[in-house]
This record gives sequence, C-alpha cells and structure tokens, in this order.
Amino acid sequence: MSRKRLITLVAVGTAVLVAGFVGVVVATSGSSAGRLVVYTARSHYGEEQPFKDFAKTTDTKLTLFGGEASELYERIRSEGDKTRADLLITVDAANLWRATKAGLLEPVNDPEILKNVPADVRDPGNNWFGLTTRARTIMRSTKRVSPTAATTYEDLGDPRWRDKLCLRSGTSDYNVSFVADRIAKDGGASTEAMLRRWMANDPKIFGSDTDVLDAIKDGECDVGLTNSYYLGRELHADPSFPVAPVWADQNGRGTHVNLSGLGVVKGTKHRAKAIKLIRYLTEPAQQRLFARNNFEFAADANVQAAKEIAQFGSFKRDPIDVRGAGEHLDDALQLMQKVGWD
Amino acid sequence: MGLNPRRRRPEGSTVLTVALAVLIAGPLIGLPISFIVAPGDFGKFSNFLPEAFAATGILMVGVGMGTLLLGTSLAALVSFCDFPGRSWIEWVLVLPLAMPGYVFTLFALGLDLPNIRSAGGAVVIFTLVLYPYVYLLARSAFLSQSRTLMEAARGLGLSRGAAIVRVGLPLARPAILGGVALALMETLADFGTVNLLGVRTFTDAIYRVWFNAFDREAAMQFATILMSITLLLLLLERLARGRARYHYNASRGDVIPPIRLRGPAAVAAVVLPLLLVGVVLAAPVAQLSVWAVQSIQNHLLAPEFATEARNSLLLSAMSAVLVPLVALALAYGVRTSRSRTAGGAARLATIGYGLPGSVVAVAVIVPLAWLDHRLGDAAGALFGVDLGLIFTGTVIGLFCAYLVRFLALAWGAVESSLARIPAQLDEAARGLGADRIDVIARVHVPLMRTGLITATLLVFTEVMKELPATLLLRPLDGDTLAVGVWQATTESLFQTAALPALLIVLVGLVPVALMIRLSGRRGTELEVAGSWTEAEREAVTA
Repeated sequence: MSRKRLITLVAVGTAVLVAGFVGVVVATSGSSAGRLVVYTARSHYGEEQPFKDFAKTTDTKLTLFGGEASELYERIRSEGDKTRADLLITVDAANLWRATKAGLLEPVNDPEILKNVPADVRDPGNNWFGLTTRARTIMRSTKRVSPTAATTYEDLGDPRWRDKLCLRSGTSDYNVSFVADRIAKDGGASTEAMLRRWMANDPKIFGSDTDVLDAIKDGECDVGLTNSYYLGRELHADPSFPVAPVWADQNGRGTHVNLSGLGVVKGTKHRAKAIKLIRYLTEPAQQRLFARNNFEFAADANVQAAKEIAQFGSFKRDPIDVRGAGEHLDDALQLMQKVGWD
Repeated sequence: MGLNPRRRRPEGSTVLTVALAVLIAGPLIGLPISFIVAPGDFGKFSNFLPEAFAATGILMVGVGMGTLLLGTSLAALVSFCDFPGRSWIEWVLVLPLAMPGYVFTLFALGLDLPNIRSAGGAVVIFTLVLYPYVYLLARSAFLSQSRTLMEAARGLGLSRGAAIVRVGLPLARPAILGGVALALMETLADFGTVNLLGVRTFTDAIYRVWFNAFDREAAMQFATILMSITLLLLLLERLARGRARYHYNASRGDVIPPIRLRGPAAVAAVVLPLLLVGVVLAAPVAQLSVWAVQSIQNHLLAPEFATEARNSLLLSAMSAVLVPLVALALAYGVRTSRSRTAGGAARLATIGYGLPGSVVAVAVIVPLAWLDHRLGDAAGALFGVDLGLIFTGTVIGLFCAYLVRFLALAWGAVESSLARIPAQLDEAARGLGADRIDVIARVHVPLMRTGLITATLLVFTEVMKELPATLLLRPLDGDTLAVGVWQATTESLFQTAALPALLIVLVGLVPVALMIRLSGRRGTELEVAGSWTEAEREAVTA
C-alpha cells in the first residue's frame, strides 16, 4: 500500500465512520418530534390491531417499545425525568402498582376513560387503567381428566397429580403475581403449604403457558396452570385441541384474575395524545377487538368474550387486590425460591 | 538497542494507553463499589447463592467434560487417522461454531425434545455448540507435533494407539485446556440458553435480582462474584498450563503418518462426525427454514422484522470497525511505549471477554446513566436545551458495552499480528528513508491484514449473536434479530422466531466459511484458523 493510498483511506474511512456512526445513532434512537412512545409488555402478543388503527385514524406516529414489564419498569426508573416514554403498558397489575408507588405515573382524570373502565380494574388514584383482564386457572386434559377432578388451586397439590402436573417457570410475572395475591389473601404460611404440596408432585416446568398446554395435549401431564387466553389461541388454531379450563375456586373466592393495563408516564410531553390513546383503547369497539383477537376478557365485563373462551361459561372472579399483591411481590419471589419453583 | 533510552518521565503513549484501558475496564473495576454503597443488599438475596453455585458448577463440570471428550476425540480422529472424505469432514466439524446456544435451544424447545428443560439438557446443548473450540485448538496442536517424537515413542515399544495417548495427548494438553477454558467461558457468559431452559445459574440469578426484585446494587454484587469466578478460572488455566508451551513445530513433510482406517471403522469415521454436524447444524437450519416459510405464509413474522435486520447489520458493522480500531490504538500504544505498565493496562482492558453480557450491561449502565443525567441537567441549566439521554438513550451505550465485552477478541487478533512484526523491521524501513506513515502503509498494513480481517469478522458475528446486553441497553428503535428471536421464543412463538434465528446462523456461517476457505487444504498453514482461535485464546489467557 502506498503512502498516498493510506492517507486517502484513513481520511475517507474516518468520514464514512463518523457519518455512519451519527446515522446509526439517529436511526435507532426513535427520535422524531411528536412521536408517541409506548413502553409495552404486550409486544410479544404480536402486532395488535387497535394500536395500528389508532396510528392510522389519528395520524399519530407510534413507537411501541417491547419488553418484559419488569424490564420496562426498571428502564423508566433508570431514565428518570429524561425518559422518552409517554405510556407504560404492562401485562400484570403488580408492575403498575409498583410504577405508581415509585411515582413514575401521573394521574389522568378523564371522564370518558372513567366511564369506559370499571372501578374495580383501575387505580383508585387514576394512575392506571385496566385494558384487559385474564384468568389464571386450572387446565385439564379433556381426554384423561374429568371436569370435577381438580376444582381448586389446592387440588393441584393432590398426590394423584404426581408427575402429572405442568407449570410455567417460577420467574414468569404471571406466576409471581399469582403467588403474591395468594400471600396477600391467605397469608404466607398457607400459601407456602399449598406450594409445597404442588412441588411435592414434582411438576414439570415449562418456559411458556403455550408449552404447558402443548404438554397436556401430548400426554406429558394431565393438569396445568395457565392464563385462559393461551387456550383461546390453541382452540382458534385447532377447535379440537384436547384441553379445557376448570374455573378454579368457584365455591371459594373465585378464579384468580389479573389485568393488563396502562398509565401515563410522569413528565410526558404528549399528555393529550397519550390520553387520547387510552380513551381509544378502552372504547367498547377496541375492547371487543382485544377480546376477539387475543382471547382475553375486556376490562368491562359486559363485553362478550371470544367464542373460543365463552364456550366454557361464565365464572366467579376473585376480586383483584392490586395493592395487596403488589406489596407481597418480594415475599412471593422469596417463597418461590424457597419451595423450589424453578 | 540504545535507540530508545529509558526516560524518567512517563511517555505520552504510555499515559494515553493507560487512560484508554482504564476507561474501558473502568465499569468492571467499579462493580465491587456496590458492596460499599449498599452493604446490606447482599444478605437479602444470599439464599439465591447455593442454587446459583450448584447449577453453575454442574454446567461447568458437564460442559468441561463434554467438550473435552468430544473435541479432543474428534481432533485426534482427523489428525491421526485417514479415511475417505477426511479433508472436508475436518472442516465440516468447525461449522457448529456458527450456531448460537439460544438458537439451538429454540429448535430443541420447538420440537419439544424430552427433558430438555434441565441442567442436563443445557450441558448437552452447550457441549454440542461449543466443542469446536476444543476441536480446533487440539487439532492444530496435534498437527504441529513432530514425527520424530512419535517415532521415538514407537521405538520405545509403544503401539501407535498408545503413542497417541501417551505422547500425543499430553503434548497437546495446553491447547486442549485452552479450548476447554474458552468453552467454559462461553457457558458462564450465556444468558439466553439457561434462561429459556430454566436452569438457575449465576447469570440467571443476576437477572432475577435485577428485574424481579429491582435491586440493582445486589445485582452488581452478584456480578462481582461471577466476575471473580471467571478471573479465577483464567488463573487456574494459566497455572495448569504453567510455563509449558510445547511447540515442536514440524517442518513440512515431517507430519505424523496417519493411521489408515478401513471397513467399519472408516464408515464410522465418516458417518459419526457427519451425524453430529447434522444434529447441531443441518437439522436446526432445516427446521428453522420450514418454520420461517410458515411464518411468512401465515403472516406470523414480527412487524419489527425489517427494523431488526437493519439494526443487526448496522450495529455489527459499526462495532466491527470501532472495536478493532480501539484494539489497534491500544496495540500501537503498547508498541511505542515499551513500558510494562502499558502492556498490563491493555490486558486489563480486555477482561470484559468471558463476562456475561448482562454483567457488562449492569456495569456500563450505572456510570453512563449517571453521566447522562449530569450532562442533561447541565445542558438544561446552561443552554436551556434538552439533550435527552445521550448515552443510555442511544446506541452509544450499546457500543460501549460491545467494546467492553468484545475488545479482547479484536485485541488478540490485532496484537498478535502486530507483535509478529519485529521492531527492527520498522527501523530498517526508517533507515531506508521511510517516515512513520510509510512504515505503517508499506510494512504494517500488509503484514497485519489477516489479523485485522479476523478481528473484524469475529466482532461482527459476536455482536450479531449478542443477546443480554442488547436486550438491556437497546434504544427505542434498536431491536435486533437476537432480541426478536428472544422475545418470540419466550412466548413459544417458534415460527415467528425462525427467520431472524436463521439469519443469525447464516451470517455466522460466513466468517466460518471464510476461515475455512482461507485456511486452504490440509497441510498448508492454518493461518486464519490459527489466528482466530489464537485470538480467542489470547483473549482468554490475557
């Protein structure tokens, strides 16, 4: 290589490098004025129609930044008052409670939203609003298990399910929230006793609710615990999918229900637009879409569930106690570690 | 030499080199500060430790044994035996290098292989995708062994097999251990595989303390422990190796004559390696292709797919330029300073390799976030402008993490090729009237070409595969293919995960194929393969 070529190479290289660097930084930063930035834990449900429609009908640029609810919460916390997030969407109530307690959300007193979202699925201080609700309940093989064989969460600890019980990993937000809720309502000792009986059945642990359902289908186990909408997806793809829900604890408090919800991030520069999005998503028409497309229950219990889930009838719901569950999240984590729910 | 008398005052190049190195290693050196800032936090989660130690220990022992046996026996097979197709089978065996553990896990989970979600499953997966490290290093050690030694062993009454076991293997011990250390390092650093399989290792504990309990200080404390384990492992490897460097470089034509396999043995020697690569690479690629086609037909592709592909490409390409440049700057700093301090500092800068991306992320994010807020506040107060988050809100933070994590790879390749150029050569060129730029242009660049290409390729593929740091530090529009694979896999959306996963594997195959091509046929100098594994090994034993 000649001297001249090296100098040219270095000069051109540096220019290209600097230009490229600036280009990459700008292209990936999601920076464009007027953009509504939503940190959403719903991202792994795929592209959802209501968001797409909102962007189109209101001519709004939406950035949906996906991740686990806990990662998103930690991100907002770390970014502090310089966060670009305008809205936070979670798939469990506990993370909304946590965000509220940490002062990351700002209250919205909008009559239309208050009308759309029933009081039992929103924050008393209006920091967040339920978008959908979901039941976490017993799933059974329709081929091998009668509908009355396991009707309570306690029943999953019956020795008859030894090697026949499938659970999702203990790190799942859904399971942590479920355990926290039990601790808040039944106390730590009683919850620990129940979990120990579950663990004594040597449950098979899977990475997702879908895997649990597939394992029941394949005969790897007979019963499991999942959110009902995952079954809705399976039944939508294959109406003869051999698994059915058992609405748990119908003679007790009712089936455990959690919610996916959203709130406006404190310090947002797009408050009006953010409120507009919440209004839109909680409208009955969009609520029907959530229920139909992802087989969840709408925040408003009067909205009809998708037929894949509605076929199993209505059920008594254990009232959501967001605060109780939120306060016991750490206890739940410790307890699950202690009993060995991997 | 007399040309460069020692100066009392530290040279400029030493100061610059040390400053650069400390800047890079700084976040990691700062991790233990968490014990001072929040001394009580550690106790809160100490009940995570027994399980984390146990699971990590099981993995280390299992993967160590697995890669040792598999890698060494395959290397011995292709080095000491001859069978039909050997000349290409020995290269086919390298291909699994392109398969990231979490992609194989996605394949295994998608097929619902029995008992895969266990420590045993993780050991099998890591062994299958990491054995090439041991294989490559052992193979080049075997091939460089001299015929005279083996013949001496035979002359002393050993059979051919016994000579291999009692002379060939012990001579290759440093190389084999180096390979095992590399495989263990990758195992320790993994996040995706163990998380998907539900194996509660140290990386997993760090993640849970950080994101389920939101105790960043405790996460940093756990990270400090993991970093100590890694450093301890390096120390052990060095001690085990001692000062031994058995290099009896056989001159050409003096290689050990291979044992010619016939009949069933020859068939087995062909079929078994092909079966192995079939399981590790061909089967997943075929299955991923089927899922990828289904995902396109059924509109299951993630909407962000195009952005993810673009970002993966941009981030990998930029890092592949930036990281080797920094390595080059350090290497020249060390070369010109000729002080031991500079060399030591440069090695310090490379400790990020072998650390999990999540550890690097937690180490990098704390100082950068702090800097971001100070800078932003200052800019707001002084000029009334809103800077946003310059480091943690853009890919700059991510580049910092990649630099800390992968500098060692580039350093290994660049430094070793620069070190091979004797200083006398520079002086000779200078004596002939060349100035510094001429020396670089006409002496260094041509001689360092292979090293630079290796560094670029290594960093490119590693960044492409990188998951945990990217997941935690990515900016708003910064999702990558690896992140896409991860998000889909955690929801068991295997079809959605397939196309990005396939792309990662295919891109990873490019440098492996290039390495094989540049290495040419058997018997020729394994220049690129050598500098590749040497680079990683240098990185590890630095």
